[in-house]
Amino acid sequence: MAEAARRAEAPAGGDLALDEVASGYGAVSIVKGVSLRVRPGEIVALLGKNGMGKTTLLKTILGMVALRGGAISIDGASTAGLAPAKLVALGVGYAPQEQPLFQDLTVRDNLRLALSSDRLLPEALERAFGHFPFLKDRLSQRAGTLSGGEQKMLILTRALMLKPRLLLIDEISEGLQPSVVDRIANALAEERAASGASMLIVEQNLDFALRVSDRWAVLKLGEIDDEGVAEAEARDRVLRHLSV
Amino acid sequence: MLLILDVLTTAAILFVTSIGLLAIFGVLKIINFAHGAWITIGAYCAVVAAKLGLNPWAAAPLAFVVGAALGGLAELFIIRPLYRRPLDAILATWGLGIVIGQLITLGFGRDVQFTPNLLPGAVQLLGVDYSAYRLVALGAALVIGAAFAFTIEGTRLGLSARAVIMNEALARGLGIDTARVRFVTFMIGAGLASLAGVLLTPLASVDPNMGVGWLIGAFMLVMVSNASFLALAAACLVFGAAQVLISAFVSPIFGSIAIAVLAAVTLRISPKGFSRA
Amino acid sequence: MPEDASAIGLSGSAERGRPRLSRAAPFVVAALAAAALWAAPLVLDAFAVNVLTRSMIYATLAVTVDLLWGFTGILTFGQAAFFGVGAYATAMALSYLGATPEWMAVALALAVVAPAALGLAVGWLSFYHRSTALYASVISLVLPIVVTQLIYSGGEWTGSSSGLVGFEVLPLELEGFFRLSAFALVAATLAAWVFVRSDAGRALVAVRDNDARCAYLGLSPKRLQIALTAALAGVAGLAGFIFANASSVVAPENAGFLFGTELVIWVALGGRGTLLGPVLGTVAIDYLAANLSGDLPFLWQLLLGATFVAVIILLPGGLAEIARRVWSALPIGRSAGFTPRLVARSSRPAADGAGAPLLTIEGLAKSYGSLTVLENIDLEVRAGELVSLVGPNGAGKTTLMRCLSDGTEPFKGAVSIGGVSTAGLTPNRIVALGVGRKFQVASVFESLTVADCLLLARASHDGLSPIGRAETIGLPQAALNVLRMTGLDRMLAEPARLLSHGQKQALELAMVVALEPRLILLDEPTAGLTKAERTTIGAALKALTGELGVAAVLVEHDLDFVREISSRIVVLHQGRLALDGTVEEVVGSELVRTIYSGAAHG
Repeated sequence: MAEAARRAEAPAGGDLALDEVASGYGAVSIVKGVSLRVRPGEIVALLGKNGMGKTTLLKTILGMVALRGGAISIDGASTAGLAPAKLVALGVGYAPQEQPLFQDLTVRDNLRLALSSDRLLPEALERAFGHFPFLKDRLSQRAGTLSGGEQKMLILTRALMLKPRLLLIDEISEGLQPSVVDRIANALAEERAASGASMLIVEQNLDFALRVSDRWAVLKLGEIDDEGVAEAEARDRVLRHLSV
Repeated sequence: MLLILDVLTTAAILFVTSIGLLAIFGVLKIINFAHGAWITIGAYCAVVAAKLGLNPWAAAPLAFVVGAALGGLAELFIIRPLYRRPLDAILATWGLGIVIGQLITLGFGRDVQFTPNLLPGAVQLLGVDYSAYRLVALGAALVIGAAFAFTIEGTRLGLSARAVIMNEALARGLGIDTARVRFVTFMIGAGLASLAGVLLTPLASVDPNMGVGWLIGAFMLVMVSNASFLALAAACLVFGAAQVLISAFVSPIFGSIAIAVLAAVTLRISPKGFSRA
Repeated sequence: MPEDASAIGLSGSAERGRPRLSRAAPFVVAALAAAALWAAPLVLDAFAVNVLTRSMIYATLAVTVDLLWGFTGILTFGQAAFFGVGAYATAMALSYLGATPEWMAVALALAVVAPAALGLAVGWLSFYHRSTALYASVISLVLPIVVTQLIYSGGEWTGSSSGLVGFEVLPLELEGFFRLSAFALVAATLAAWVFVRSDAGRALVAVRDNDARCAYLGLSPKRLQIALTAALAGVAGLAGFIFANASSVVAPENAGFLFGTELVIWVALGGRGTLLGPVLGTVAIDYLAANLSGDLPFLWQLLLGATFVAVIILLPGGLAEIARRVWSALPIGRSAGFTPRLVARSSRPAADGAGAPLLTIEGLAKSYGSLTVLENIDLEVRAGELVSLVGPNGAGKTTLMRCLSDGTEPFKGAVSIGGVSTAGLTPNRIVALGVGRKFQVASVFESLTVADCLLLARASHDGLSPIGRAETIGLPQAALNVLRMTGLDRMLAEPARLLSHGQKQALELAMVVALEPRLILLDEPTAGLTKAERTTIGAALKALTGELGVAAVLVEHDLDFVREISSRIVVLHQGRLALDGTVEEVVGSELVRTIYSGAAHG
C-alpha cells in the first residue's frame, strides 16, 4: 500500500494554501479571489453572512465546484482538476451543511460510506466512540431518526472516519444547544491534539468559532473582508460584520 | 389454479426482464432504450451456446458476461457524454438498439432461431399439468431478485449505489467515485438484461427484433416503480395479474396493452407510482 | 413621456429595412419550392415520383414532430398514432361509405377531427400542473401501442393485421398525388415557419426553456401544450388522409411505435428546431432508404442507426447545424434579427382600497414529512409597503415565498391576495390576481432575446400574434426604468443566455414589473450582484413601492441592503416569526443580534 506509506511519512496536519481562488455556478461567480492559508495543525474559522460564498469556497477546495481562477494547493502540491474522491484519498475530510446525511440509511451505513473499505470500520468506529459514546447504541438506527444535535455529531464523526489531515467543516454548530456545541468543540480540540489535523471551519456561531479556532477571516461578497487572530477582543470587531 | 400459476409466472418473467432497466434507471437516472437489444444479445448467446454444443444452462453466465462487457463499452462511449441530456440519452440508446439489431441480423440473418429448451415438459402441480419451464422461470426470478437484493443491501457496491440514488452530491463529497458506481451499475444492468434474454428463449421466439416488445413493458414497469426494487416486484405482480386476467376474460389484445395503459394511468394519478406504498 | 419612448426605440428602428425583407423570405421560399415541386413530376421517373410522394407526406409529419419536440421540447413518439388514426379514418370511410365527393369530404373531416379529438385527450392526460417532460414522452409511447392494438382488434372493420386495401380514392394520377402531397408539405411548412417566427412562436420556445417562468408570467404553458398537441394531431391526421388516398393501402405499421421513432430519428438527423432541416432530412433519408434498402437492406439500417447515435452525441443540432455554421461564416448570413421597439404605456392607477391589506397570511404552517419548516405564520402586507423577510439559513424564507405564489403547494392555514383565497390556485392564476414573483436564481428564457423575454412578460395582458411580430412592446414606465438603469434597453437583440448574472437578474425584475403586479415577491434579488447593481435594483424597488404603491415582500441576506430599502422587517427563525417591526426596532433588537451571532436555539 504505497498510499498508506506515503501518508505515514507526511506531516500530521495538511497545509492548505488558497491563492486568489475564484469559483461559482453557471453565470454566477460567487467566490471572487480569496487568498487564505491553513497551516499544519491550525484551525481557521471562516465567518460571514449567508450567501457570501463560504460554502462554495469549501466545495471548491474539495473539487466539487470547478476552480475558475487562482490556485489551491495542499502540502505545496496543486489540487487542480482532482475529483473529490482523489482529495478524500489525500486526507481531506468534509462535514457538509446542506443535506448532510443519508436520512434513510442507518448510522452505521452513513459511517461506512466515508471509508474506502469495510476492513477499516472497526478501528474507525472505536475512535468515533471515543468522541461520542452515544453512537455505540445507535448504529442500526436510521440517521433521519436522530435528534438534530445527534445528527450534527454523526456528521462530524463521519468526517473523522478516515483520519483526515485536513478537515473542512460547514456550520457544524448550526441550531444546536450550548451543551451540544460544547461537546463538538471538545471533539474538535481532542482530534487536533490526537492527530494534528488542520481544519477550516465555516461558522455563523461567532462564540463557538472564536473558541475553537486560532485565526478567523470574514468573507463578504466572495472576498475576504477582514481577518485576524482569535482572541476575546475580536468578538465585537467580527460582530459588526455579521449583524444587521 | 392455472390462473394463479399464470399470474405468478407472468409476474416473474416481467420482473426478470425489467430488473436490469431498473438498476440503470435508479442509479444513472437514464432510461436505457437499448435494453431490448441487450435482451436480444442474451438470447443470441443461447443460440451461440447451442451451436457450440454447450449445456443450454451455460448460456446464462455467458450472456451475463457478454452483456456486461458490451454494457461497459456503451456506458463509456454513449451514456457518459449524455448524463446531462436524459431525453437525448433515450434517443441515443434507441439508436444503439437499432445498430445492435442490424449487426445481429448481419451475423445471424433475420429468421427466427431455435434454441434447445432449458427444461422441456410439464409437471403435475396441485392437480394441474403445468409447463415445467415456467415454474423454473419463477424460481429464476426469485433467485435473481434475491441476488439483486443481496447486492443492494449487503455489499459495498450496493451501499454506494444507494448513496448515489439518494443524494449523489453528498456521495461525491464523501469521496465515493460516482463515475465508477455508474459504470459498474450499467454493466450489471446490461448483464441482467442479457441474462433475461437467455431465460426468455424457451418462451419467446428468438429474432433480431425480439427485444423491442419486452422493452416497452419493462419501461412502463420501471416508470411506475420509481427506482425501487420492491415497488418493481409489486408492480410486476399487479400488472402481470391484470394482463393475465384481461387476456383470459376480455381479450388477449387488450391484455397485451394492459400494462402500458394501466401504468400510464397509475402515473397520472400518482407520479411516484408504486414506490409510495 | 414620449421622448423616452423614441429614444429607447432607436436601436430597433435602425434595422427597419431588414425585417420586411426577412419577413417575406418564407413566402418567397415557399413559392419557389411550390413551383419547383409542381414541375418536378415532368422530369422524374415514376419510381421517384411514387417514393417522393410518400417522403413528402412523412416530411409533413416531421414538421409536426419538430414543432412539438424541437421548438416546444416535448419528445413525442405519438405523431405516428395520429397519422394512423387519420389514415384509418379515411380508409374506413372510403371503404364503407364510398368515394363520392360528399363522402370524400366526410372522410377528410373525420381524418382531421378524430385525431384532433384524440390529441386533445392525450394532451389533457400528458400535461397538468407539475407534469414532467418524461411523462409526456411516456404517454406518447403508449399511444401508438394502444392504437395499433385497437387496429388489430378491429377485425373486419380495420382489416386487422393485413390492413385495408383497394378502397376507392381521390381521382388523381401519380403526378396529381405528388403535387397534392407537395402542396400539403409546402403549406404545412410555411404555416409552421410563419408561426414559429411570430410572437406566439416565441411562446413555444419559452415553454421549452422554462415553463415555470411562463406560469409565473400568468401564461398557461399546459394549455398551450394541450392546444398544440391537438392541433398538430389534426395536421398529422390530414397527412394520413393524403397517405391513404395516395397509397390506397393502410396498415397497422402506419400507426406504430416504430414509425413514431423513425419520425424522431429523421427530425434529429435533419436538425431539431429548424423546420427546414427535418423536412429536407426526412425527404432525403426516406428517398435514400427506398433506393438503397433494396440493395443493402441491413447495412442501410445499420448506417442510419450509427449516424443517429453519433449525431445525438456529437451534433445535437443535426445536419442543419453544419449548414448554419457554414451560413453564419458567410458575410450574407450575419443579418441581425428583428427587434421590436420599447414604448412606455400608461400604468394602471395606483392600488385602490389603501386601507385593506393586500396580502394576508393566517396561521400558515408547512412541513415535509416529520420536518416542520414553517409554523404559525401570521402576516399582513399593505399597498406601498416593502417588507423584508430575513433570517438565518433554513429559517423557511424561500418555502414561505413558494407557499405565497403557488396555491397547490400543500400547507396549512390561509393565504389571500386582495381578499381572494389562493387555496388550490396554480401559479398562473395567482399571477392573474396581481402577484409577480422573482426567483432566487434568475429565471428568464435563455434562448430568447431580451426583447422577446419582455414581450412574453406582457403576453398575459396584450396577447401574442400567431402570424406576425409586434412592432412595439408597451411597458410600464417602472419596467423601462429598470431596463434603462441597467443598460438592457440597448441590448434588446441580445439572447438572454449571453447576459451577465446581474443583467439576467435585472431582466427578470423588469419582466416581473412589466406584469404590473399589485404585490411583488422577490427571493434574494441581489444575490451575486456587484455593489453598483445592488444600488440600481434597490432604487427600482423603492420607486415601485414608494411611487406606484406596489406592495413588495423581499427575502434577502444582505442586511445592509435590507436596512436601506425596507419599510418593515420580519425576522424568521427556525420556521417561526420571531420579530415584525420597523427597521429601527429590528436593527436595535437584542434578539436579532443573538440570532445572528448563532447563540439562539430551540
